[in-house]
Amino acid sequence: MRWFGFGFNAFGQICAQKEKSDEGEANTTEVKIISPTELSTTVDGSGCSFKTRKIQASWSRRVSLRGDGDRCVFLAGFKSFPSAESSGCTDAFISESHLTLAFQDRIETWNLQEEDKTPSWNMEISAQPESSVSLPAGVNLPLAPGGYITSKPPFYYHLSAQLKAKSLALGGGHAVLLTAAGDVYTWGLGSHGQLGHGGLASEEKPRVVEALCGMPMSSVASGGWHSACISDIFLTEGGDLYVWGWNESGQLGLPSRGLWRASQHKSSQQSDTGDLYTWGWGEYGQLGHQTLMSSDEPQRVEFFKDEQMRVIDVVCGTWNTFAAAIKKDDAYS
Amino acid sequence: MASLWSKISAVLPASEADFPLQFSDTVQQSVVEVLKWCRRQLYSGATSPGQAALNAQIVLDVSWEKLNMGTWRHVDKEWRRVYSYGCLFKVAALCHEDPLVERLLQAVRTCDLGLLMGAAIMDDILQVIVRILQSEIRRSGEEEHQRDRAEVKRIKTESPHIPEIKDECAVPRIKCPSLETFKTSFLIPLRPVILEGIIDHWPALNKHPWSVEYLRSVAGCRTVPVEVGSRYTDENWSQTLLTVDEFIDKYILKKDGGNVSGYLAQHQLFEQVPELKEDIRLPDYCCLGERDEDEVTVNAWFGPGGTVSPLHQDPQHNFLAQVVGSKYIRLYSPEDTDRLYPHQSQLLHNTSQVEVESPDFERFPEFAVAPYLECVLWPGDVLFIPVRHWHYVRSLELSFSVSFWWS
Repeated sequence: MRWFGFGFNAFGQICAQKEKSDEGEANTTEVKIISPTELSTTVDGSGCSFKTRKIQASWSRRVSLRGDGDRCVFLAGFKSFPSAESSGCTDAFISESHLTLAFQDRIETWNLQEEDKTPSWNMEISAQPESSVSLPAGVNLPLAPGGYITSKPPFYYHLSAQLKAKSLALGGGHAVLLTAAGDVYTWGLGSHGQLGHGGLASEEKPRVVEALCGMPMSSVASGGWHSACISDIFLTEGGDLYVWGWNESGQLGLPSRGLWRASQHKSSQQSDTGDLYTWGWGEYGQLGHQTLMSSDEPQRVEFFKDEQMRVIDVVCGTWNTFAAAIKKDDAYS
Repeated sequence: MASLWSKISAVLPASEADFPLQFSDTVQQSVVEVLKWCRRQLYSGATSPGQAALNAQIVLDVSWEKLNMGTWRHVDKEWRRVYSYGCLFKVAALCHEDPLVERLLQAVRTCDLGLLMGAAIMDDILQVIVRILQSEIRRSGEEEHQRDRAEVKRIKTESPHIPEIKDECAVPRIKCPSLETFKTSFLIPLRPVILEGIIDHWPALNKHPWSVEYLRSVAGCRTVPVEVGSRYTDENWSQTLLTVDEFIDKYILKKDGGNVSGYLAQHQLFEQVPELKEDIRLPDYCCLGERDEDEVTVNAWFGPGGTVSPLHQDPQHNFLAQVVGSKYIRLYSPEDTDRLYPHQSQLLHNTSQVEVESPDFERFPEFAVAPYLECVLWPGDVLFIPVRHWHYVRSLELSFSVSFWWS
């Protein structure tokens, strides 16, 4: 499995600057990476390259979670902090100001702006007795047992256990929650329609998106001012993508050609064909179509098709995109 | 003749070390890093304008996202400052090599975006720079507006239909009252009145009479917010940013033949274009208020005939000065609010649901018995609208008014 990145790279979060000038300023050609570029394999102390299990990106950084060995975390981009404190990490979540790491027995949030010796916030969790690969119960960052973690004090916010939260997407000023039953709840700023309740009012507490009731969803995602979810492919005839919110840059993919069954959208998603589609604001090359143009229609990222690769995971950073792909003829591992 | 860049350089700090970049913790270090790259490039001879423009754009893009998060009131001032810095660096990149008119206009627009949406930085440097840019544009001057004179005259000779004002409903008029008379007879009892003769000394009405041509010459290339759509209670009402020239062409002269209404409304134009501020004066009667005179909010209202402000109330007193053209205005007392059916929503609770000049009496029966005062406001008139007095305004022809909100 190989990871590729494209889009905003002013801090070298996709690939390091080829030539660092004396003053360390960004080189024009490297700020916008318009074609998927493989992330350089990272090498640990013993000289072995490690597999990246998960990637998360903020505006100026990228965090890679190692899938093997000591399972530590590697940070690229603006001012990295050493990975020594992160061995045994099971999950990671990054914002522009903080990095949250989950371990078997605890969750910690570190301030990326300071060189603190201790985390800004932490919480102990009950360790899993079984295989060390699975995530501790209730942890799917930013979801934590009993609530979720943000990047602003007091960091931890409580969520009602009745919701049975399964995954959470934090947008610019709002949140989109998927429950075990497949319902979608939203809260936060509503000024651009991103909450999906039919108006522009903000909500202080999670409120179910009634328009989607009756259609179980399997995943949710959010952008700065928009939200999306995909209906469960195993129930009814799912696999449909629903979008709502601000469409100023075409981020809703509308007007669409009507019958797109998105194989991929901007959050981690398995697909049948392994094609990656992107749409929205493209001025930093984050759509991967080898231009700096925006698009209000989903378009396939041809690079992966040309390379005979299947995309098996995709992650959106603020102004860039990361995709994990494998060769189509490789045995799927 | 000094080059444009040397004039701009002269108003910037002498060196990188003198150039301040201080922000609160709200602005992440990564963003400050990009600002530092911009600053370095500004003082280094070696940078290509392309690189400088790129980094400035990063600053603009990242701060613009913050400006659009939540309500305007809650946007942290620090992000507005960052946005202004982005505008400054972008203007510097645009003006480095003798730019052509097209680039100059882009630079002016960039300054305006910073003035409208940013927060003042470095002693309001964007205001200083836009003045330099405007004189540069005037010097490369293109007087293509002679033909507009004929068009504007054509608009003026189409005589508007002036509504008849019934004597018993007419807003009283008084010429140059003393402060004491105004205070006792109108301010304290909260009675509307038209003050005549109190702005005759305004340069806008004699030395520099305001006209479409005059506005073009003073502010034609400046970007301003324009309200599009017949009234702000409509679903398809919106706001856009245009230059004064574009606004005049499209919505005053209607060159593209469209019939959508456009109104340069409720905009602090005189802060943005100080030359226009010199053509008006603060009414003396504002000193009767409790607040300081520098807290008076002055707005410009410039548009074609037919612009409508739906019946609404404001939380401060208003002196509405008519400079060009005429307006029909109707006033209702706050005591009769219940007969005016205000909207329930938080956003529009200060606005009536009733269409004043074609009311739906089935939905709003009480409106028929709500007492009112009405008037036609002519150039030279100043209407006193007491605090929370409901008012409806329709322009009868090309109109320019100046409002003073005071307490």
